[in-house]
Amino acid sequence: MHKPPYDVVLKPYGKALVELAQRRADVFCLGADLTRQTETDLIRDQMPERFISVGMAEANMIGIAGGMARAGHTVFVNSFGVFCTRRCYDQIAMAVAYPNLNVKIVGFMPGISSPGGPSHQAIDDVAMMRALPNMTVVDLADATEISQAVAAVAEHHGPVYLRLKRGEIPKIFDDTHRFSLTRAQVLMSGVEVCIVASGMMVPAALAAGQALTDCGVKTTVINAPVIKPLDCSTIVTQARRARVVVTAENHSTIGGLGSAVAEALAEAAVGVPLRRVGLRDVFAESGSREYLFEKYRLGVKDIVDAAWSQVGDDRPRPQVREIQSLPGTYAPV
Amino acid sequence: MPRTMNPWFPEKAIAPQRLSPGSNEHTRIEVTAQPLPDIARLRRLAARVKVNATDMVNIQGFGYLGQALSAGDVFAALFGGGFIRPGHDRFVLSPGHYAVVLYAVAAELGYIEREHLESYGLDGAVLEAISTERTPFVDITCGSLAQGLSGAIGLALASRLAGDDRHAYVFMSDGEMQEGQTWEAAMFAAHHRLEGLTVVIDANDSQVDGPVSSITTIEPIADKWRAFGWQVEEVDGHDMGALVHALAKPSAAKPKVIVARTHILGRLESIPSTVDGHFIKLDADLAAAVVAELESTNA
Repeated sequence: MHKPPYDVVLKPYGKALVELAQRRADVFCLGADLTRQTETDLIRDQMPERFISVGMAEANMIGIAGGMARAGHTVFVNSFGVFCTRRCYDQIAMAVAYPNLNVKIVGFMPGISSPGGPSHQAIDDVAMMRALPNMTVVDLADATEISQAVAAVAEHHGPVYLRLKRGEIPKIFDDTHRFSLTRAQVLMSGVEVCIVASGMMVPAALAAGQALTDCGVKTTVINAPVIKPLDCSTIVTQARRARVVVTAENHSTIGGLGSAVAEALAEAAVGVPLRRVGLRDVFAESGSREYLFEKYRLGVKDIVDAAWSQVGDDRPRPQVREIQSLPGTYAPV
Repeated sequence: MPRTMNPWFPEKAIAPQRLSPGSNEHTRIEVTAQPLPDIARLRRLAARVKVNATDMVNIQGFGYLGQALSAGDVFAALFGGGFIRPGHDRFVLSPGHYAVVLYAVAAELGYIEREHLESYGLDGAVLEAISTERTPFVDITCGSLAQGLSGAIGLALASRLAGDDRHAYVFMSDGEMQEGQTWEAAMFAAHHRLEGLTVVIDANDSQVDGPVSSITTIEPIADKWRAFGWQVEEVDGHDMGALVHALAKPSAAKPKVIVARTHILGRLESIPSTVDGHFIKLDADLAAAVVAELESTNA
């Protein structure tokens, strides 16, 4: 694992998709008028016979993907997360999830990482996709994991929702890291606090874990990129020995990672307090990532505070430093 | 055949016998090198399909008989006329509640066991009233309406990529044209010139709340599809000869749509016109009268 500040790379998904399509003749890519923004300009330019932009027609795109998948293709459909879930939910349910087809829905710009306001902020996509039978849900914001996940979801039989950060992608994990569709990873180990994070919240979870550890609060940090099926066994095992479990997600606290962890803990009768860091049942607004993450309390400090609310005592309160802005912030489209 | 004045396009009142230019001259069009199927045989097949459907709906005393009476001729032409080559061509049943017609024709042609018809719609039955992923003999079906055309486009694209000649046929109901996805798909298919795609629309002017034309007009149907870049054939959907000719007509580097003008009660006189054709309640006497009429007129 690398140390912050992390190096960033561009288009790890787009590159991995081209590599996959070069290896596998069944791979096809559909887009909905966001080709460069979803890194699929690479496959469009390098393998134009494998790419169609259907225009602004997400419902039709999902239906076409379902038809092609029935005929034997593995189809990647691409848009912003908000458009390729909310706008075509019934189509995903009936044309993809129910028939359990090899359609991989790739949604960029998760949660309030979009400056575009509620119309562009996918704050409920994980909840919706998680509710669909047969659907696997993956939330990633690390270049090493993204590069591996493209091949992994293509190998997996059935529909997948792949939620990806847009723009500059940090390299948190080194090349020895192995992305798994079945196992969460314990990145830091400690018995007092257990933090579970996915996607863009992983760097903040690591920073919070370090700040807590520095103050003598032994902390576990779990990377749970696969929100469904959740690796309950790893999470429950770590949670049992903790005094508090904190989930961190760039998503509504309703229906996403926090809910999934709550269900796992309750069903296993873990009986440890749970604090969920995420959007507290609100629509956000336009603004920079830094502004929105601070205002809606998705920062390192918010994870630390959630833990401290249960384990805080006369030890010195942890000092935190927020994740610094990455260069090259992007426009709404 | 009852006709509804379209309040928004009075000059284009729905006139089943007024066909698009050329298509009512089908007898003079050289359509195909293959001999056309025997029209009298297909008429008899259509009657048996409608009888089967009547028997199936009679099991519970209510159901989608109207759909079978309006589309029985279309299904007989598609499957009995040799247009859909089973196991090769693709068939998408977009409105899932038309499954009754599919089962009725499939049993008649020996593609499914006739015994299955007897448990149609019952708990645990193989043949569900609204088709599902378990439904035999379709490539795609949709209970949630207007999704079929997009799926068929996916199948047609796959055939184009594979370089094979598998044709994709879509059966659609007219009410589905109220859904936006229909037009997203129509636009896409024309843009990509998917000539391996044929849509047949059962234009029976019937939806749950009443006549389609009284709720949100979809007329002028043929002009809409033509404007979207499709080859359009408009025929009387109870005229077997016209249906067969429209299906056999080659398409010129375009997707093709056949607007089959039909009546939800199949123009049967034995069913009172006050009956709700979209979901018919049937008793033994009415079922017997329907079967008798079908058998007497198509013996």
